[in-house]
Order: sequence, then C-alpha cells, then structure tokens
Amino acid sequence: MKVLGSNELIAAVIDAGLCTGCGACVSLCPYLKSHDGKTALLFPCTRPEGRCFAYCPKVEVDLDEASLTVFGKPYTGEPLGHYIDIKAARAGHKMKKGNFQAGGTVSAIMTYALQKKILDAAVLTGRDGLRPVPRIVTSPASVAESASSNYSAAPTVSAFNQAMKEGYKRIGVVATPCQALALAQIRSNPMKEKNFTDPTALVAGIFCTWALDYRRFRKLLEGRVDLNAIIKMDIPPPPAEKMEIFTKNGTVEIPLPEVREQVPEGCGYCFDMTAEFADLSVGVHEGRTDSNTLIIRTERGADAVNGAVRDGYLEVSDLPKENREHLAAAAGNKKRRAMEKAAGEGLVNTGSGRCAAVRLSSITVQRGGR
Amino acid sequence: MSYLFDTKSGTRYLMMGNDAIVRGALEAGVGVASAYPGTPSSEIIEQLSRASRERNIYVEWSVNEKVAVEVAFAASIAGLRSICAMKQNGVNVASDFLLHVALSGTRGGMVLVHCDDPGALSSINEGESRHFARMLELPLLEPGDFQEAKDMTAWAFGLSEELRSLVMMRSVTRLSHASGNVTIGDLPPTDKKAVFRYDGPLGDPDTGPVVTMPVPKNHVLLQNKLKKARELFEKSPFNTYTGPEKPELLIITSSACNLYSLEAVRLLNAGGRVGVLKLGTTWPLPPELIKKSLSRADKILFVEEVLPFTEENVKILAAEMAAEVGIIKFYGKNDGTIPMTGEMNPDIVVDACAKILGITYSPMPADYEAAAQEMLKTLSPVRDLTFCPGCPHRASFWNIHNALAIDNRHGFTCGDIGCYTLGFLPCGFNTMKTSHSMGSGIGIASGFGKLKQFGMDQPIVTVCGDSTFFHAAIPALVNAVHNKSDVIFILLDNSGTAMTGFQPHPGTPLDATGHELPDIDPAAVCRSLGATVEYADPFDIDGTQTALLRLMEEGGARVLIMKQMCALSPAKKGKKKFEVRVDENVCIGENCGCNRFCTRIFRCPGLVWDPERGVAVVDEVICAGCGVCASICPSGAIRKTEARA
Repeated sequence: MKVLGSNELIAAVIDAGLCTGCGACVSLCPYLKSHDGKTALLFPCTRPEGRCFAYCPKVEVDLDEASLTVFGKPYTGEPLGHYIDIKAARAGHKMKKGNFQAGGTVSAIMTYALQKKILDAAVLTGRDGLRPVPRIVTSPASVAESASSNYSAAPTVSAFNQAMKEGYKRIGVVATPCQALALAQIRSNPMKEKNFTDPTALVAGIFCTWALDYRRFRKLLEGRVDLNAIIKMDIPPPPAEKMEIFTKNGTVEIPLPEVREQVPEGCGYCFDMTAEFADLSVGVHEGRTDSNTLIIRTERGADAVNGAVRDGYLEVSDLPKENREHLAAAAGNKKRRAMEKAAGEGLVNTGSGRCAAVRLSSITVQRGGR
Repeated sequence: MSYLFDTKSGTRYLMMGNDAIVRGALEAGVGVASAYPGTPSSEIIEQLSRASRERNIYVEWSVNEKVAVEVAFAASIAGLRSICAMKQNGVNVASDFLLHVALSGTRGGMVLVHCDDPGALSSINEGESRHFARMLELPLLEPGDFQEAKDMTAWAFGLSEELRSLVMMRSVTRLSHASGNVTIGDLPPTDKKAVFRYDGPLGDPDTGPVVTMPVPKNHVLLQNKLKKARELFEKSPFNTYTGPEKPELLIITSSACNLYSLEAVRLLNAGGRVGVLKLGTTWPLPPELIKKSLSRADKILFVEEVLPFTEENVKILAAEMAAEVGIIKFYGKNDGTIPMTGEMNPDIVVDACAKILGITYSPMPADYEAAAQEMLKTLSPVRDLTFCPGCPHRASFWNIHNALAIDNRHGFTCGDIGCYTLGFLPCGFNTMKTSHSMGSGIGIASGFGKLKQFGMDQPIVTVCGDSTFFHAAIPALVNAVHNKSDVIFILLDNSGTAMTGFQPHPGTPLDATGHELPDIDPAAVCRSLGATVEYADPFDIDGTQTALLRLMEEGGARVLIMKQMCALSPAKKGKKKFEVRVDENVCIGENCGCNRFCTRIFRCPGLVWDPERGVAVVDEVICAGCGVCASICPSGAIRKTEARA
C-alpha cells in the first residue's frame, strides 16, 4: 500500500467524514491530537509519508495485506472473517464479579494474560462519566476498572502508540473492529522499520455495529442523565428499541432511533462487525445476558483462551449452531451495506490515486459481503 | 548636562523631536503632564517624568487618552499649564471629551500633542488626526523642524491662554523620533499655584463654572476663538516662505514633509523655479497669507501626510478667492500626483516636481528596488515579524491555538492591541482572527458570544494585555458579563505596558516617576463583575491547555489570566530561569514523529536548525531560558536545567 502524509490523511479521511476517531494517527507525533472522540491536526506537517497515514484504518487499506499479516492468508470477505473456532464464554471462578457488559470474557482473558506475563501491558478503554478514556494497564487487578461498553468512539489506538513509545513489547489491546484493523496495519510494519517486531501479543476484538459520536451522544443525554453517575449502558435485544443507562440515581431509557442519529457517518462504511483482524473477538451471546460469543481466530488467541480456561479465569462451552448462523447473517448484512455504500460513493479500489476507504481483491468485491 | 535641566539659554543640543517638545513645555512652565503611551508619542511623558521633581510638574501615565485629557484639563481650569500626549488613534479615544473641552474653553495654557504614524510603522492604522481639529473646532499647529518643535510648543501655551482654547499640536514619527539641532531658551520659575474658581457668573471664562452650556452662545464664542486664531496666524512666524517671489511651482507643505520638500528642491537644483510655503498653523488657515501665496504661482503642489487635509482646506479658500487669485492648477493627492496613503519621502516629492516642471530626474534607477531586494536575499535571511525569545505571548498563543485546534469546533480568537497583536502572524500560530482598536477584542467577542441563536457554536476566545485591560476592555467585559455572552476572556498579563517600553499602568505598583501607588488587581475587577476567574502559567503547556479545554465546555463570560512576565522586563534583569540544550542523540529532526517541530512550527528565535547534522540547537546567546521548548519537544531531546544564580 502506498503511504502518504498527514495532509492526504486529513483530506481523504477527516474532511471526507470517514474518521472513526480510533486514535491510530495520534500519540505518534505532536501534530495530531484526539479530544472528545475527534481527531485534529494542529499544524501542517510537510512530510510526504508518515505513520499517521500508514496506520489509519480508513485510508485505502489493502485488506489482503492486513489479512496476510494477521493470518498468513488473504482476505476472503466471509461474513465472520478467518477463525478457528466459535464458543460461548464467560468469566471463570478466578474472576471477581465485576461490572461486566455480559459474561466478562474480555476482562477475564486480559486479566489472565497480564497475570501470566503473556502481556507486559494492556491497552483498555475505561470511562470518565460518559467520556471513553483509553488506558495503559499493567496490573491484572486494574483490568476490571475498564469493563463494560462505552458506546462512543474512543482513540484506543493512541494509547497503544503511547505504550509502544514507552517501550512495552508485548501489548494486549481490547479493540473495536476499526481499531483492530489499525493494529493489523501497525503490525505489518508499513514504514519498513529495521529490527521491527510485532508489538502486540494479543488483540481482543469486540463486536461493533457502530460507535456514537461522543459529543453528540453527550448532548443527547445532557439534561436527561447525570453523566457523572453513569454505571453502565446497554442496548437490550430487539424488539426493545431502547438504550438503557444505569446510573447511581436509577435507570434512564433513551429510544434507540434517537441514539442511532448520533452515529457518525464513518461507521456507515465499516464492513466488519466482529473485529475480523483480532486474535479473538468477543460480543453478545444472543438470548443470554451472562455469557459472550467468543470467536477464536489465531493460534495465540487460542493459546490465551486455553490458558485462561485451564487456570480458571474463563469458562467456555459450545455455541449453538443457530447462534452462529444469526451472527454470520448479521455480520454479512453489515458488510454488504458498507460495501454498497462505499462502492456507490467510489470509495473502493479507485485506482485513481485517490485515497479510497478500502482496497479489496476483485473476488471479494464480487462477493459483496455474501 | 541634560537638556531637561539646562538653564543656559542659547545652548544648542541635538534633540529628538519629542525631546524638543518636552523642552518647549518646560520653557513654558508646564505644571501637569499626562498621557497614555503610544508610539511615536511615548517619550514625551517619559522625559517629563525625569524632570518632574526639579521642575515641579505632576506627571501621570493615565489609564487611557480620554482620562489623560481630563486630568490635564483639570490642571488648566485650575490655572496651570498642562500638556497631554498621545498617538493618532488616542485622539479618537479622547475625542468625546475634546468636543466638550472646545465648547467649555480652557484657562491655563493647554496643549494636546498628537503624534501621527504615517506609514503605520508602529501602528495598526494610518489614522490622520488633523481632521479632528476641524471637526472639534480647535486650532492646530504643525512644527516643520526640530527647533520649531521646541519653539512652537512653548508658544502654544500662550496661544491657548490668549484664545482660551485647547491647542492641538501634531507631530509625526519622522519628527518625533528623528533628531536635529535645537537652541534652547530660558526656563521659568517653578512656583505654580492651582486654584479652581467656580463662584463667578456662568459664562465668565475666569471665575464661572466650566460647562458647555448654554451651547448656542458657547458655540458662537468658539467660532470667535477660531476667528481670532486666524488673525493671529496671519502674523505667525511659523508660516514661512522660501523661494523666488514668483515661482513656477509653489509647494504648500507642513510638518516633516517640509524637510522632504526642501530636500527635493535642492536635489533638483530648482530653487529658482520652486517656492516652498511651510505652514505651521494648519487650522484654521490664515486666509490673507493663503491669498498672497496663491497669487505667487499658477501651479500649486501639496505635500503632506497622510490625507489631503491642507490640500482641501486651501482649495476651499481658493474657490472663495477665485476672483482675486485666478485659475490655479493644483497638484497633490486628489489628482494622484502624490500617493494618497503611506509615508512621504524626498523621492516622492522629487518625482512630483520633476513631472510638473518637465525636469528629467530619476532619484534612483527604475529597477533599484527589485535589484536591492534580490541582493538582500543573498546577504540576509528573510525574517518575519516575531516575538522575542522567551516571550510569554508565544507560549500563550501556542496554548490557545492548540486548545482551539484540539477542541475541534473551529473556535477562534479576537485580538487586541499590544505586542500580542502579532498573534495573527505565524509567530503567534495565526491564532488571532480579528484585530482593531484597544479593548475591541472583548467587545467583538461579546458580540460573537451572542450568535448561538443563529447556529454559531464555535468557541469564542479573546486576548487582552494588562495595560489594555484597564485602558478600554473593562466596559466591554462588563457588557459581555451582563449580557451573558459566551466568551473566554484571556488576560495576557506580562506585568507592564511592554510594547511601548514598560510604562506603568493601574495594575502596576509604581507611578510615572517611580513612586509607589496602589496596584489594582485585574482578577478582583473581573470577579467583582461576576465573571469566573482562573489563573494559568502560559509556560505550563499542559496545565494551560487543559484549563482552556475545560473552559471551552462552559458557558458565560469566563476569565483566564495567563500570567508571566515579559522576557525583556527590566524586573527580570536578563536572568535566565533555565539553561536549555538539545541532546543531539535524542533529537529526531525531520523524521516522522517530529519533522522539525521546534524550529519549523514553534519557531522561537532561540532555536536553530542545523541542516548539516539534521538536529536542532539552542542559540545560547539569545535564548531567554524560559524552558517552554523543552515541554513541546516530542522526543524529550530539549533538556532544561535550573540556571545557576
């Protein structure tokens, strides 16, 4: 993939409304900063190529390259991406009961991996009131503080960049699909650095249909919810059509259509629901509130799961076939919608030198997410 | 001996124009002098303050020009002679009061010295203050050289007393700040007594209450004063003519343009063909003198700065006198012979005279300017206007710029008047987006902060210096607070009137003569209005930006005082707080992650890019040791250590 500079990044991604605020371009240099979910260029940088562009998941990402980096094989366009196995999972007896979104699977695996020194640091996303705050965590006991979903876009990869800068070598990351794609690019050594080693030791992806624009979300809730008293947020399964905000002062329900209006445009181009470029991906377990769906994608992902099960941090069971099919259907729908939107706007494989949203093999384009 | 104290009449000194004005005031026995600093007028009060004790003068840096005139006026109606100095736009500030002073009249001689800045060498406008004399119906003088600057000032006090009117005397940068020979006169005794008499009948100029009413009667009196001024000016020795009895071309000029005109005639060797009428009393014009002058030549060229003030006034008289003076061909600004804007110089006058007289003369080769510019490129690098090394304003604008950019809602900064006016340039990271008169930053911001109902959601920031705060910002801040305008008012407090030379202001604890005064705390003023007030140290980059980002989330009028003393402040005594150096092994230079952030973006003159080694270095000679660059270096390559005492 051709690497360009920050000026092209701003034009192709931020000005084009594709930015999801993942933070991949932040904490690399003093020019780009993230605040309230938005990325800003403070000053023009004249470099013709830079890591900011190279890491961005919304420039012309070559999914084959990313897939080769993570899985050693090209991208197929299958709804759930490459995987080894899919399980149902939840935190095991070694984990204290926490403020988990569902089964506590991500917290359990990260706690285990830190405890066993598989990781020297974990990049997690906690919350300050409503605002998501990425954190570098080194103590297993601190993992649970970042548990539960934020529903807003967060610059998590910026904390990963910071962790790299601070010298951590085996970093674990809990990442949304766009963040996992950014990490896949970082791992592909796009700047051809000498003596490069993969700085990640485990990428735990989380399912994502969209993440809200933080400022718009905050504006939606202001006056209805005491933002500093929020404990947890959840969207119960259909046909509820609502978001539940649990606070110290009680639960507030926001109609889902109002919430969806706060989804940034950039999410509409996302073809990945299940964080296909992660080592393992975790999301809801349809019909269960105390368990997760766990997709194991790579060997090191499988090792982490097996170890966590062995040592009592995690419990796994088989996921019913029906659940798998529903999941694949939902993921396929997202992929198809995104590809149609991107293709309709000329953002796939432009070949014109313009920085498209995505670069795909012709086979994948033909499949169109089916 | 200083010219200030020399009592030996007849001694000759090389004096700056402003010094000559000061000596003139001393020779007139001035009792009270007041001003607000502004280039090119500031030295007048500074020098008078040095003589204040020995010459028994009360000297004051007033809060603004209007108050300065009011202070001087009080002295006048208490029977003292008083002088007031300001730059051109100061007259605008003072004009409301001046309009009323004209109508009420004065007692002790009162002179307003207003120094214009043609070419805007140290101004953000090219205001022409002479028009105020006509508008306010006040007599106007313009010294044509340095000796006249002294003599005319001394004379102006007597003129004021004779007319019972304030007298305006206009200087320009090239007179105020250039130097020439001046022969001094006597200094009077220093005993002065101030009494304000008010118990006489209304309308009695010596003993009655001093009010502008009844207006119809006083306005007639004012016009009579101008009539008397005209008569006096007919005989004034400050209106001089040099040249043949009947020249081919008559130049009518005043002020520094007199010197340019004389030089032009000399350069053209046209003394036998060109006459120069130098007017020292430019409003009201003496009609008989003008008639006589217009009768000398058929061609008249006006040479003046900035606008065609005398040109138009003479043309009115010429129309009235047409039957006697005949048809005259006028050259000047209105017909484009002389540029309508900018500073004049001898070349412009040479060019105009040569064209009118058909003389072939080129003051310089046509391509001189371009060739000189080209040659300069090889001799010196292009240098932008910039803040001094270690200037707190660079750090302040860095913080404001970055906070606005990080906030990412297209917020912007309304500017004001001071060194920090440079904030619209790259040295201030192009942060300032408006810049007008003193105090107008918060005034404009107050307006912007009320545009929410029209969909404007950009954060509004305004900056204001500590001296400007007292000068004109307070009423606008009151407006913003009272009207619940959503603005962040940033007071750039560098502890003095830095731009004009560290004159004290009401926030500093000293007066013009160095005596202690109670200093007024701007924070207390703001709090008393009901604004929230916070402090930040602009050198604390993270702390200041965090505070700004938080303030941008809040509503209403918020005050942030960024306090850090000017790098050049005499109080700092040139002492460095930090020794700063670059660790060349850590500096990543042009690589991704920096790209010369300190020398390409931050651009403190104390940081230098070494292209050969590809690293930044600190110029120890000019580094002021503020240490801010150590905070902005992304690699931690710039190291600061506490400087040894």
